[in-house]
Amino acid sequence: MDDFERDLSRLMRDTQQHTPYEPEHRQRLHAGIRSRRRSRLLWKAGGSAVAVAGLSVGLALLPSMLTRAQPADHRPQPTTSPTTSPDGTPTTAPPAPSTTPTEQPETTLPATMTGGVTPSGPTSEPAPDPTPTATASESRSGTTPPATPPPSPTRTTAPPSPVDSEEPSASVYPE
Amino acid sequence: MEQVRADGFDEFAAARWSALLHVARLLTGGDRQRAEDLVQEALVKLWFAWPKVAEQAPEAYVRTVLVRLAARSARRRWWGERPVEQLPDRADPGDMSSAVAERSRLEAALALLSPKQRAAVVLRYYEDLPESQVAQALGCPVGTARSHASRGVARLRQILSDAVRPVG
Repeated sequence: MDDFERDLSRLMRDTQQHTPYEPEHRQRLHAGIRSRRRSRLLWKAGGSAVAVAGLSVGLALLPSMLTRAQPADHRPQPTTSPTTSPDGTPTTAPPAPSTTPTEQPETTLPATMTGGVTPSGPTSEPAPDPTPTATASESRSGTTPPATPPPSPTRTTAPPSPVDSEEPSASVYPE
Repeated sequence: MEQVRADGFDEFAAARWSALLHVARLLTGGDRQRAEDLVQEALVKLWFAWPKVAEQAPEAYVRTVLVRLAARSARRRWWGERPVEQLPDRADPGDMSSAVAERSRLEAALALLSPKQRAAVVLRYYEDLPESQVAQALGCPVGTARSHASRGVARLRQILSDAVRPVG
């Protein structure tokens, strides 16, 4: 620290004049604190309101998004109906094609519905009635005796393979 | 609880008001009104941080806030000044003592520095802080703070020597 720096330091300290902390300073300071506190509260309230609004909008949109996804999950059901009713009439055939072949893999569900016989096969009685539908389940379970009754429907549901069987069936029905 | 907080805060403000005002005045290059505003704003910020810093280093906290507020305020172009019909009273030139004249000269010289240089010089030569704390208050590396201080001093040396230099 050279002479100039020492002088500079001394000059800065010597020029300090005492300024008392007067009541008006205190009042002004506390008024500033109150003002700042108020603005902080407003900011917090505004932030909370925005957060709540965002959450409510999100919650309102969420169900609609879920319902959009649901139809895809329920589509397989139509495919089951044709298989269940086939014993009744050929009219059931049209629905099957409508259910696109892409959804065929899920037709396993229908087997359980109508031919619930097949999976639980040995004990379930419903086996005889849903005989026609058993074709698909036959290929899967294979061992169940109830499969024997469906010989007649087998001609329609020729495809043996379990999973792929549905696709061809769908293509067959349109014809 | 709130009362205890207010009491401690008021004690601190009363004890340090004069020194803080002087620092602020140096940091603003002698602008008393702006200096008061800066001290007020720094103390308001300190109030909200008081529970955290009261037991540690409120002085360092408020000094750092003051330096940053001064640097920020120096970037503003408009200070909210409004024209008035009547000018406020000013001290007559004849009333100026040598101390006041010296202070005015110093403040005028400081006003010619950049905000960072001014802050570095004030913290280094008035507050007598080590370079590391100067850097911390400025929010920059130690080398940068040292550079600000040395350039500021060099500029002050030039300004003050020019002012003292005899005419002719």
